[in-house]
Amino acid sequence: MSETPILKAENIYYSYDNEKSHSLNGLSLEIFRGRKIAFMGANGSGKSTFFLCCNGINRPSKGTLYYCGEPYDYSRKGLLKLRSKVGIIFQDPDNQLFSASVYQEISFGILNLGVSPEEARQEVEQVIDKLEITPFRHKPTHALSGGQKKQVSIADILVMHPDIIILDEPAAALDPKHTILVNKIVDQLTEEGITVLMSTHDVDYALAWADEIVLLHEGQVLMQGSPLDVFTDKEILTQTNLAQPAVLQLFESLCKKGILDASLPLPRDLHTLEHYIENIQTSHNKEETNPCPQK
Amino acid sequence: MITIDMLCYYSKLRYMNAMEKFTYAMLTLLFCVVSRSLAMAVLVLAVNGILTVRKGGIPFSRYWHYLMIPLTFLILSTLAVIINISPVPFDAAAVPLGTYYLTASYASIRKGIQMILTALASVSCLYFLSFNTPMTDVLSVLKKLHCPDLLVELMLLIYRYIFLLLDISFCISLSQDSRLGNRDLKTSMRSFGTMVSVLLIRAMARSGALYDAMEARCYDGRLQVLDEQYPPKRTEILWIFFFESLLFVLTIWSKLK
Repeated sequence: MSETPILKAENIYYSYDNEKSHSLNGLSLEIFRGRKIAFMGANGSGKSTFFLCCNGINRPSKGTLYYCGEPYDYSRKGLLKLRSKVGIIFQDPDNQLFSASVYQEISFGILNLGVSPEEARQEVEQVIDKLEITPFRHKPTHALSGGQKKQVSIADILVMHPDIIILDEPAAALDPKHTILVNKIVDQLTEEGITVLMSTHDVDYALAWADEIVLLHEGQVLMQGSPLDVFTDKEILTQTNLAQPAVLQLFESLCKKGILDASLPLPRDLHTLEHYIENIQTSHNKEETNPCPQK
Repeated sequence: MITIDMLCYYSKLRYMNAMEKFTYAMLTLLFCVVSRSLAMAVLVLAVNGILTVRKGGIPFSRYWHYLMIPLTFLILSTLAVIINISPVPFDAAAVPLGTYYLTASYASIRKGIQMILTALASVSCLYFLSFNTPMTDVLSVLKKLHCPDLLVELMLLIYRYIFLLLDISFCISLSQDSRLGNRDLKTSMRSFGTMVSVLLIRAMARSGALYDAMEARCYDGRLQVLDEQYPPKRTEILWIFFFESLLFVLTIWSKLK
Protein backbone atom coordinates (compact mmCIF):
# COMPACT_ATOMS: atom_id res chain seq x y z
CA MET A 1 0.00 0.00 0.00
CA SER A 2 1.40 3.40 -0.96
CA GLU A 3 2.15 5.98 1.76
CA THR A 4 -0.47 8.69 2.38
CA PRO A 5 0.95 12.17 1.76
CA ILE A 6 1.10 14.31 4.90
CA LEU A 7 -0.05 17.27 2.83
CA LYS A 8 -1.83 17.25 -0.48
CA ALA A 9 -3.16 20.10 -2.59
CA GLU A 10 -5.68 19.23 -5.27
CA ASN A 11 -6.25 21.85 -7.94
CA ILE A 12 -6.41 24.79 -5.53
CA TYR A 13 -7.21 28.36 -6.51
CA TYR A 14 -6.81 31.48 -4.42
CA SER A 15 -7.51 35.07 -5.32
CA TYR A 16 -6.82 38.29 -3.41
CA ASP A 17 -9.07 40.37 -5.66
CA ASN A 18 -12.43 38.65 -5.90
CA GLU A 19 -11.40 36.15 -8.58
CA LYS A 20 -10.18 38.85 -11.02
CA SER A 21 -6.74 37.26 -10.92
CA HIS A 22 -5.45 34.20 -9.12
CA SER A 23 -2.35 33.93 -6.94
CA LEU A 24 -2.86 30.17 -6.90
CA ASN A 25 -4.09 28.90 -10.20
CA GLY A 26 -4.97 25.23 -9.99
CA LEU A 27 -2.02 24.19 -7.85
CA SER A 28 -1.68 20.48 -7.15
CA LEU A 29 1.06 18.65 -5.28
CA GLU A 30 1.78 15.98 -2.72
CA ILE A 31 4.21 16.18 0.18
CA PHE A 32 5.35 13.15 2.13
CA ARG A 33 6.28 12.93 5.79
CA GLY A 34 9.85 13.73 6.82
CA ARG A 35 10.81 15.31 3.49
CA LYS A 36 12.71 18.53 3.02
CA ILE A 37 10.99 20.50 0.31
CA ALA A 38 12.29 23.74 -1.17
CA PHE A 39 9.70 25.94 -2.84
CA MET A 40 11.21 28.13 -5.48
CA GLY A 41 9.98 30.52 -8.08
CA ALA A 42 9.91 34.16 -9.07
CA ASN A 43 8.41 36.79 -6.78
CA GLY A 44 4.63 36.60 -6.98
CA SER A 45 4.61 32.97 -8.09
CA GLY A 46 2.37 32.02 -5.17
CA LYS A 47 4.79 30.55 -2.61
CA SER A 48 3.67 32.63 0.38
CA THR A 49 0.00 32.36 -0.60
CA PHE A 50 0.29 28.58 -0.75
CA PHE A 51 1.97 28.53 2.67
CA LEU A 52 -0.87 30.59 4.16
CA CYS A 53 -3.31 28.10 2.62
CA CYS A 54 -1.39 25.21 4.20
CA ASN A 55 -1.83 26.78 7.64
CA GLY A 56 -5.51 27.48 7.01
CA ILE A 57 -5.12 31.27 7.11
CA ASN A 58 -6.10 31.54 3.45
CA ARG A 59 -8.97 29.35 2.34
CA PRO A 60 -8.79 28.36 -1.33
CA SER A 61 -11.76 29.47 -3.40
CA LYS A 62 -11.62 26.20 -5.32
CA GLY A 63 -9.88 22.88 -4.81
CA THR A 64 -9.09 20.91 -1.68
CA LEU A 65 -6.19 20.62 0.72
CA TYR A 66 -5.64 17.42 2.66
CA TYR A 67 -3.71 16.83 5.86
CA CYS A 68 -2.84 13.13 6.35
CA GLY A 69 -5.50 12.18 3.84
CA GLU A 70 -8.27 14.19 5.54
CA PRO A 71 -9.65 17.26 3.77
CA TYR A 72 -9.10 20.54 5.67
CA ASP A 73 -11.81 21.32 8.20
CA TYR A 74 -12.29 25.09 8.30
CA SER A 75 -14.39 25.08 11.47
CA ARG A 76 -12.82 26.83 14.48
CA LYS A 77 -12.00 23.50 16.08
CA GLY A 78 -10.65 22.04 12.84
CA LEU A 79 -8.39 25.02 12.24
CA LEU A 80 -6.99 24.91 15.78
CA LYS A 81 -6.21 21.22 15.29
CA LEU A 82 -4.61 21.87 11.91
CA ARG A 83 -2.52 24.80 13.17
CA SER A 84 -1.20 22.72 16.05
CA LYS A 85 0.26 20.39 13.41
CA VAL A 86 1.26 22.83 10.67
CA GLY A 87 3.43 25.70 11.91
CA ILE A 88 4.46 28.64 9.80
CA ILE A 89 7.39 30.99 10.31
CA PHE A 90 6.80 34.25 8.53
CA GLN A 91 9.33 36.02 6.35
CA ASP A 92 9.38 39.21 8.41
CA PRO A 93 9.70 38.38 12.12
CA ASP A 94 8.27 41.79 12.99
CA ASN A 95 4.98 40.55 11.57
CA GLN A 96 5.11 37.57 13.91
CA LEU A 97 6.46 38.86 17.22
CA PHE A 98 3.59 40.55 19.05
CA SER A 99 5.06 40.68 22.53
CA ALA A 100 7.87 42.81 23.88
CA SER A 101 9.25 39.91 25.93
CA VAL A 102 11.02 36.93 24.34
CA TYR A 103 9.68 34.59 27.03
CA GLN A 104 6.08 35.73 26.61
CA GLU A 105 6.40 35.49 22.85
CA ILE A 106 7.59 31.87 22.87
CA SER A 107 5.03 30.77 25.45
CA PHE A 108 2.07 32.09 23.44
CA GLY A 109 1.67 29.20 20.97
CA ILE A 110 2.05 26.35 23.41
CA LEU A 111 -0.40 27.85 25.92
CA ASN A 112 -2.94 28.10 23.10
CA LEU A 113 -2.66 24.32 22.72
CA GLY A 114 -4.16 23.98 26.18
CA VAL A 115 -0.96 22.81 27.86
CA SER A 116 -0.62 23.54 31.59
CA PRO A 117 1.56 26.56 32.51
CA GLU A 118 4.08 24.28 34.26
CA GLU A 119 4.51 22.08 31.20
CA ALA A 120 4.58 25.12 28.93
CA ARG A 121 7.32 26.65 31.07
CA GLN A 122 9.43 23.49 30.69
CA GLU A 123 8.91 23.44 26.93
CA VAL A 124 9.79 27.12 26.62
CA GLU A 125 12.99 26.62 28.62
CA GLN A 126 13.92 23.64 26.43
CA VAL A 127 13.43 25.49 23.18
CA ILE A 128 15.31 28.55 24.50
CA ASP A 129 18.20 26.27 25.30
CA LYS A 130 18.01 24.36 22.02
CA LEU A 131 17.95 27.42 19.79
CA GLU A 132 20.65 29.22 21.81
CA ILE A 133 18.33 32.05 22.78
CA THR A 134 19.62 32.22 26.39
CA PRO A 135 22.08 35.11 25.81
CA PHE A 136 19.26 37.44 24.75
CA ARG A 137 16.24 35.94 26.45
CA HIS A 138 15.91 38.95 28.78
CA LYS A 139 16.07 41.52 25.99
CA PRO A 140 12.86 43.10 24.70
CA THR A 141 11.94 41.88 21.21
CA HIS A 142 12.31 45.39 19.75
CA ALA A 143 15.96 45.43 20.82
CA LEU A 144 16.86 42.16 19.07
CA SER A 145 18.84 41.96 15.86
CA GLY A 146 17.25 40.55 12.70
CA GLY A 147 18.90 37.16 13.24
CA GLN A 148 17.84 37.01 16.87
CA LYS A 149 14.27 37.90 15.93
CA LYS A 150 14.34 35.07 13.41
CA GLN A 151 15.60 32.64 16.08
CA VAL A 152 12.73 33.68 18.36
CA SER A 153 10.18 33.34 15.56
CA ILE A 154 11.42 29.79 14.88
CA ALA A 155 11.25 29.01 18.61
CA ASP A 156 7.65 30.32 18.61
CA ILE A 157 6.67 27.47 16.29
CA LEU A 158 9.10 24.80 17.41
CA VAL A 159 7.74 24.90 20.95
CA MET A 160 4.38 23.71 19.60
CA HIS A 161 5.95 20.50 18.20
CA PRO A 162 4.29 20.63 14.78
CA ASP A 163 4.54 17.82 12.23
CA ILE A 164 5.17 20.29 9.42
CA ILE A 165 7.16 23.48 9.67
CA ILE A 166 6.84 26.04 6.91
CA LEU A 167 9.61 28.60 6.60
CA ASP A 168 8.91 31.54 4.33
CA GLU A 169 12.32 32.72 3.13
CA PRO A 170 14.05 32.18 6.47
CA ALA A 171 17.33 33.71 5.34
CA ALA A 172 15.77 36.89 3.92
CA ALA A 173 17.64 40.00 5.15
CA LEU A 174 20.01 37.97 7.32
CA ASP A 175 23.78 38.32 7.36
CA PRO A 176 25.88 35.23 6.47
CA LYS A 177 26.48 34.37 10.15
CA HIS A 178 22.78 34.33 10.98
CA THR A 179 21.96 32.58 7.70
CA ILE A 180 24.30 29.75 8.75
CA LEU A 181 22.69 29.70 12.20
CA VAL A 182 19.17 29.49 10.75
CA ASN A 183 20.27 26.80 8.30
CA LYS A 184 21.74 24.85 11.22
CA ILE A 185 18.41 25.05 13.03
CA VAL A 186 16.62 23.86 9.88
CA ASP A 187 19.03 20.91 9.67
CA GLN A 188 18.20 20.04 13.30
CA LEU A 189 14.50 20.06 12.45
CA THR A 190 14.93 17.71 9.52
CA GLU A 191 17.09 15.37 11.61
CA GLU A 192 14.17 15.14 14.04
CA GLY A 193 11.97 13.95 11.18
CA ILE A 194 9.86 17.08 10.93
CA THR A 195 8.60 17.78 7.43
CA VAL A 196 10.08 21.10 6.40
CA LEU A 197 8.70 23.28 3.63
CA MET A 198 10.92 26.22 2.83
CA SER A 199 10.71 28.94 0.26
CA THR A 200 14.07 30.25 -0.84
CA HIS A 201 15.83 31.94 -3.73
CA ASP A 202 19.17 30.42 -2.73
CA VAL A 203 19.69 27.76 -5.40
CA ASP A 204 22.99 26.57 -3.91
CA TYR A 205 21.43 25.94 -0.52
CA ALA A 206 18.35 24.31 -2.06
CA LEU A 207 20.51 21.94 -4.10
CA ALA A 208 22.50 20.85 -1.07
CA TRP A 209 19.65 20.74 1.44
CA ALA A 210 16.40 19.72 -0.20
CA ASP A 211 15.08 16.25 -0.93
CA GLU A 212 12.69 17.76 -3.41
CA ILE A 213 12.23 21.04 -5.23
CA VAL A 214 8.87 22.49 -6.12
CA LEU A 215 9.07 25.16 -8.80
CA LEU A 216 6.09 27.47 -8.83
CA HIS A 217 5.12 29.67 -11.72
CA GLU A 218 2.02 31.86 -11.90
CA GLY A 219 0.30 29.95 -9.12
CA GLN A 220 0.93 26.49 -10.52
CA VAL A 221 3.51 23.80 -10.02
CA LEU A 222 5.83 24.04 -12.99
CA MET A 223 8.02 21.18 -11.88
CA GLN A 224 8.39 18.99 -8.81
CA GLY A 225 11.33 16.68 -8.55
CA SER A 226 14.75 15.95 -7.16
CA PRO A 227 17.12 18.94 -6.93
CA LEU A 228 19.36 17.53 -9.65
CA ASP A 229 16.43 16.99 -12.03
CA VAL A 230 15.20 20.52 -11.49
CA PHE A 231 18.51 22.34 -11.56
CA THR A 232 19.74 20.68 -14.74
CA ASP A 233 16.69 21.87 -16.64
CA LYS A 234 17.93 25.26 -17.79
CA GLU A 235 14.78 26.16 -19.69
CA ILE A 236 12.62 25.71 -16.61
CA LEU A 237 15.09 27.69 -14.49
CA THR A 238 14.99 30.62 -16.90
CA GLN A 239 11.20 30.58 -16.85
CA THR A 240 11.22 30.93 -13.06
CA ASN A 241 13.97 33.61 -12.90
CA LEU A 242 16.41 31.20 -11.29
CA ALA A 243 20.06 30.57 -12.05
CA GLN A 244 21.73 27.19 -12.06
CA PRO A 245 23.59 26.50 -8.78
CA ALA A 246 27.25 27.54 -8.89
CA VAL A 247 28.46 24.02 -8.17
CA LEU A 248 26.63 22.61 -11.21
CA GLN A 249 27.85 25.44 -13.44
CA LEU A 250 31.43 24.81 -12.34
CA PHE A 251 31.07 21.04 -12.77
CA GLU A 252 29.69 21.50 -16.29
CA SER A 253 32.49 23.89 -17.19
CA LEU A 254 35.18 21.53 -15.85
CA CYS A 255 33.62 18.64 -17.80
CA LYS A 256 33.56 20.69 -21.02
CA LYS A 257 37.24 21.48 -20.59
CA GLY A 258 37.97 17.79 -20.10
CA ILE A 259 39.23 18.30 -16.55
CA LEU A 260 36.46 16.22 -15.01
CA ASP A 261 34.80 13.12 -16.36
CA ALA A 262 31.22 13.91 -17.43
CA SER A 263 30.13 10.45 -16.34
CA LEU A 264 30.73 11.35 -12.68
CA PRO A 265 27.55 11.77 -10.61
CA LEU A 266 26.42 15.40 -10.45
CA PRO A 267 27.74 17.06 -7.29
CA ARG A 268 25.22 18.58 -4.87
CA ASP A 269 27.69 20.67 -2.96
CA LEU A 270 31.15 22.21 -3.19
CA HIS A 271 32.57 19.55 -0.92
CA THR A 272 31.76 16.78 -3.46
CA LEU A 273 33.19 18.83 -6.32
CA GLU A 274 36.31 19.49 -4.30
CA HIS A 275 36.60 15.74 -3.74
CA TYR A 276 36.41 15.12 -7.53
CA ILE A 277 39.19 17.65 -8.11
CA GLU A 278 41.30 16.12 -5.34
CA ASN A 279 40.97 12.74 -7.04
CA ILE A 280 42.35 14.18 -10.33
CA GLN A 281 45.30 15.63 -8.40
CA THR A 282 45.94 12.29 -6.66
CA SER A 283 45.84 10.29 -9.91
CA HIS A 284 48.07 12.92 -11.55
CA ASN A 285 50.63 12.58 -8.72
CA LYS A 286 50.55 8.78 -9.06
CA GLU A 287 51.31 9.09 -12.79
CA GLU A 288 54.25 11.38 -12.04
CA THR A 289 55.82 8.98 -9.51
CA ASN A 290 55.19 5.98 -11.77
CA PRO A 291 55.51 7.36 -15.36
CA CYS A 292 55.91 3.96 -17.15
CA PRO A 293 53.44 1.57 -15.72
CA GLN A 294 54.09 -2.07 -16.60
CA LYS A 295 51.82 -3.46 -19.26
CA MET B 1 14.76 52.29 21.72
CA ILE B 2 13.11 54.90 23.93
CA THR B 3 15.61 55.85 26.66
CA ILE B 4 13.44 54.98 29.67
CA ASP B 5 12.61 51.64 28.12
CA MET B 6 16.28 50.97 27.42
CA LEU B 7 17.35 52.02 30.93
CA CYS B 8 14.96 49.65 32.68
CA TYR B 9 16.47 46.69 30.85
CA TYR B 10 19.93 47.65 32.10
CA SER B 11 18.84 48.42 35.67
CA LYS B 12 20.34 46.26 38.39
CA LEU B 13 16.89 46.10 39.97
CA ARG B 14 15.36 44.72 36.77
CA TYR B 15 15.26 41.15 38.12
CA MET B 16 13.75 42.14 41.47
CA ASN B 17 10.21 40.82 41.83
CA ALA B 18 7.92 43.18 39.90
CA MET B 19 5.12 42.95 42.45
CA GLU B 20 7.51 44.11 45.19
CA LYS B 21 8.58 47.12 43.12
CA PHE B 22 5.01 47.91 42.18
CA THR B 23 3.80 47.66 45.79
CA TYR B 24 6.67 49.83 47.02
CA ALA B 25 6.07 52.49 44.36
CA MET B 26 2.31 52.63 44.77
CA LEU B 27 2.25 52.64 48.59
CA THR B 28 4.94 55.30 48.72
CA LEU B 29 3.06 57.38 46.18
CA LEU B 30 -0.14 56.99 48.20
CA PHE B 31 1.50 58.09 51.47
CA CYS B 32 3.17 61.01 49.71
CA VAL B 33 -0.08 62.30 48.28
CA VAL B 34 -2.12 61.70 51.46
CA SER B 35 0.34 63.25 53.92
CA ARG B 36 1.53 66.20 51.75
CA SER B 37 4.28 66.54 54.28
CA LEU B 38 7.45 68.38 53.34
CA ALA B 39 9.66 66.03 55.40
CA MET B 40 8.11 62.96 53.87
CA ALA B 41 8.51 64.34 50.34
CA VAL B 42 12.20 64.98 50.98
CA LEU B 43 12.62 61.49 52.49
CA VAL B 44 10.87 59.81 49.55
CA LEU B 45 12.85 61.82 47.00
CA ALA B 46 16.11 60.85 48.69
CA VAL B 47 15.23 57.15 49.06
CA ASN B 48 13.98 56.85 45.46
CA GLY B 49 17.07 58.65 44.20
CA ILE B 50 19.36 56.30 46.12
CA LEU B 51 17.44 53.23 44.98
CA THR B 52 17.36 54.25 41.32
CA VAL B 53 20.89 55.64 41.04
CA ARG B 54 22.91 53.66 43.59
CA LYS B 55 21.04 50.36 43.64
CA GLY B 56 19.64 50.41 40.11
CA GLY B 57 22.79 51.76 38.49
CA ILE B 58 20.93 54.38 36.46
CA PRO B 59 23.35 57.25 35.67
CA PHE B 60 22.74 60.23 37.95
CA SER B 61 22.82 62.66 35.01
CA ARG B 62 20.00 60.76 33.30
CA TYR B 63 17.94 60.59 36.49
CA TRP B 64 18.49 64.28 37.14
CA HIS B 65 17.59 65.14 33.57
CA TYR B 66 14.31 63.25 33.82
CA LEU B 67 13.55 64.79 37.22
CA MET B 68 14.09 68.26 35.77
CA ILE B 69 11.34 67.81 33.20
CA PRO B 70 8.43 67.76 35.71
CA LEU B 71 10.29 70.17 38.00
CA THR B 72 10.31 72.90 35.35
CA PHE B 73 6.64 72.38 34.74
CA LEU B 74 5.89 72.30 38.49
CA ILE B 75 7.81 75.51 39.20
CA LEU B 76 6.03 77.36 36.42
CA SER B 77 2.59 76.18 37.46
CA THR B 78 3.20 76.73 41.19
CA LEU B 79 4.25 80.33 40.56
CA ALA B 80 0.59 81.02 39.88
CA VAL B 81 -0.26 79.70 43.34
CA ILE B 82 2.53 81.59 45.13
CA ILE B 83 2.27 84.99 43.43
CA ASN B 84 -0.82 87.08 43.83
CA ILE B 85 -1.94 90.43 42.47
CA SER B 86 -3.42 92.29 45.40
CA PRO B 87 -4.08 95.87 46.48
CA VAL B 88 -2.50 94.94 49.85
CA PRO B 89 1.16 93.74 50.03
CA PHE B 90 1.73 90.37 51.73
CA ASP B 91 4.44 89.56 54.27
CA ALA B 92 7.08 87.80 52.13
CA ALA B 93 7.60 90.04 49.10
CA ALA B 94 5.78 92.74 47.16
CA VAL B 95 6.48 94.55 43.90
CA PRO B 96 4.27 97.61 43.32
CA LEU B 97 2.38 97.66 40.02
CA GLY B 98 0.52 100.98 40.00
CA THR B 99 -2.12 100.75 42.73
CA TYR B 100 -1.66 96.96 42.98
CA TYR B 101 1.14 94.69 44.20
CA LEU B 102 2.70 91.58 42.72
CA THR B 103 3.01 89.90 46.09
CA ALA B 104 3.61 86.63 47.92
CA SER B 105 3.08 85.51 51.49
CA TYR B 106 5.31 83.15 53.51
CA ALA B 107 2.37 80.78 53.81
CA SER B 108 1.85 80.64 50.02
CA ILE B 109 5.58 80.13 49.44
CA ARG B 110 5.57 77.28 51.97
CA LYS B 111 2.48 75.86 50.29
CA GLY B 112 4.11 76.17 46.86
CA ILE B 113 7.31 74.42 47.94
CA GLN B 114 5.27 71.71 49.62
CA MET B 115 3.27 71.17 46.43
CA ILE B 116 6.39 71.06 44.27
CA LEU B 117 8.18 68.59 46.52
CA THR B 118 5.12 66.39 47.01
CA ALA B 119 4.53 66.23 43.25
CA LEU B 120 8.21 65.62 42.56
CA ALA B 121 8.37 62.85 45.18
CA SER B 122 5.29 61.27 43.61
CA VAL B 123 6.88 61.46 40.18
CA SER B 124 10.04 59.90 41.62
CA CYS B 125 7.95 56.90 42.74
CA LEU B 126 6.75 56.41 39.17
CA TYR B 127 10.28 56.94 37.90
CA PHE B 128 11.50 54.27 40.30
CA LEU B 129 9.00 51.86 38.78
CA SER B 130 9.59 52.79 35.15
CA PHE B 131 13.40 53.02 35.38
CA ASN B 132 13.68 49.60 37.01
CA THR B 133 10.75 47.58 35.67
CA PRO B 134 10.20 46.62 32.03
CA MET B 135 6.72 47.29 30.71
CA THR B 136 6.01 43.58 30.28
CA ASP B 137 6.63 43.04 34.03
CA VAL B 138 4.32 45.94 34.89
CA LEU B 139 1.65 44.38 32.69
CA SER B 140 2.04 41.02 34.40
CA VAL B 141 1.54 42.76 37.76
CA LEU B 142 -1.61 44.43 36.42
CA LYS B 143 -2.82 41.01 35.31
CA LYS B 144 -2.19 39.57 38.77
CA LEU B 145 -4.15 42.48 40.23
CA HIS B 146 -7.09 41.39 38.06
CA CYS B 147 -6.95 44.37 35.75
CA PRO B 148 -9.35 43.57 32.83
CA ASP B 149 -7.67 41.18 30.36
CA LEU B 150 -8.73 43.27 27.39
CA LEU B 151 -6.98 46.35 28.81
CA VAL B 152 -3.76 44.45 29.58
CA GLU B 153 -3.74 42.79 26.14
CA LEU B 154 -4.30 46.14 24.44
CA MET B 155 -1.46 47.68 26.43
CA LEU B 156 0.82 44.78 25.46
CA LEU B 157 0.06 45.18 21.75
CA ILE B 158 0.23 48.99 21.86
CA TYR B 159 3.60 48.83 23.61
CA ARG B 160 4.98 46.53 20.89
CA TYR B 161 3.45 48.68 18.16
CA ILE B 162 5.02 51.87 19.47
CA PHE B 163 8.45 50.48 18.61
CA LEU B 164 7.40 48.99 15.29
CA LEU B 165 5.85 52.26 14.14
CA LEU B 166 8.77 54.27 15.48
CA ASP B 167 11.08 52.10 13.38
CA ILE B 168 8.97 52.60 10.29
CA SER B 169 8.67 56.36 10.85
CA PHE B 170 12.44 56.58 11.34
CA CYS B 171 13.05 54.75 8.05
CA ILE B 172 10.54 56.91 6.18
CA SER B 173 11.97 60.09 7.66
CA LEU B 174 15.49 59.00 6.71
CA SER B 175 14.37 58.25 3.18
CA GLN B 176 12.66 61.66 2.96
CA ASP B 177 15.78 63.40 4.28
CA SER B 178 17.96 61.65 1.72
CA ARG B 179 15.77 63.10 -1.02
CA LEU B 180 15.67 66.66 0.42
CA GLY B 181 12.23 66.02 1.84
CA ASN B 182 12.88 68.40 4.72
CA ARG B 183 14.50 71.17 2.67
CA ASP B 184 12.28 73.94 4.03
CA LEU B 185 9.19 74.36 6.15
CA LYS B 186 6.83 73.71 3.26
CA THR B 187 8.48 70.45 2.18
CA SER B 188 8.86 69.40 5.82
CA MET B 189 5.15 69.86 6.43
CA ARG B 190 4.31 67.94 3.27
CA SER B 191 6.79 65.16 4.12
CA PHE B 192 5.40 64.89 7.64
CA GLY B 193 1.86 64.61 6.31
CA THR B 194 2.90 61.91 3.84
CA MET B 195 4.73 60.04 6.58
CA VAL B 196 1.71 60.07 8.88
CA SER B 197 -0.59 58.79 6.14
CA VAL B 198 1.89 56.07 5.16
CA LEU B 199 2.28 55.14 8.83
CA LEU B 200 -1.45 54.65 9.12
CA ILE B 201 -1.51 52.38 6.08
CA ARG B 202 1.54 50.45 7.30
CA ALA B 203 0.03 50.11 10.78
CA MET B 204 -3.12 48.63 9.26
CA ALA B 205 -1.10 46.22 7.10
CA ARG B 206 1.08 45.22 10.04
CA SER B 207 -1.89 44.62 12.30
CA GLY B 208 -3.39 42.35 9.63
CA ALA B 209 -0.14 40.40 9.27
CA LEU B 210 0.27 40.18 13.04
CA TYR B 211 -3.26 38.88 13.44
CA ASP B 212 -2.56 36.21 10.79
CA ALA B 213 0.63 35.22 12.62
CA MET B 214 -1.26 34.96 15.91
CA GLU B 215 -4.02 32.92 14.25
CA ALA B 216 -1.33 30.62 12.87
CA ARG B 217 -0.39 29.90 16.48
CA CYS B 218 -3.92 28.90 17.49
CA TYR B 219 -4.94 32.33 18.86
CA ASP B 220 -8.50 32.06 20.12
CA GLY B 221 -9.17 35.64 21.14
CA ARG B 222 -7.25 35.48 24.43
CA LEU B 223 -3.59 36.44 24.68
CA GLN B 224 -2.20 33.75 26.95
CA VAL B 225 1.46 34.22 27.78
CA LEU B 226 3.87 33.18 30.50
CA ASP B 227 6.06 35.62 32.37
CA GLU B 228 9.55 35.02 33.64
CA GLN B 229 9.45 34.40 37.36
CA TYR B 230 11.58 36.37 39.81
CA PRO B 231 10.51 35.16 43.25
CA PRO B 232 10.18 37.77 46.00
CA LYS B 233 12.95 37.90 48.57
CA ARG B 234 12.25 37.96 52.30
CA THR B 235 14.80 40.72 53.03
CA GLU B 236 13.35 42.96 50.31
CA ILE B 237 9.84 42.44 51.63
CA LEU B 238 11.02 43.28 55.15
CA TRP B 239 12.70 46.49 53.95
CA ILE B 240 9.59 47.54 52.06
CA PHE B 241 7.42 46.75 55.09
CA PHE B 242 9.75 48.74 57.35
CA PHE B 243 9.88 51.76 55.04
CA GLU B 244 6.14 51.82 54.37
CA SER B 245 5.45 51.50 58.11
CA LEU B 246 7.66 54.50 58.67
CA LEU B 247 5.78 56.45 56.01
CA PHE B 248 2.50 55.39 57.58
CA VAL B 249 3.58 56.68 60.97
CA LEU B 250 4.80 59.92 59.39
CA THR B 251 1.49 60.32 57.57
CA ILE B 252 -0.51 59.86 60.79
CA TRP B 253 1.84 62.23 62.60
CA SER B 254 1.57 64.90 59.88
CA LYS B 255 -2.22 64.68 59.95
CA LEU B 256 -2.43 64.91 63.76
CA LYS B 257 0.03 67.81 63.93
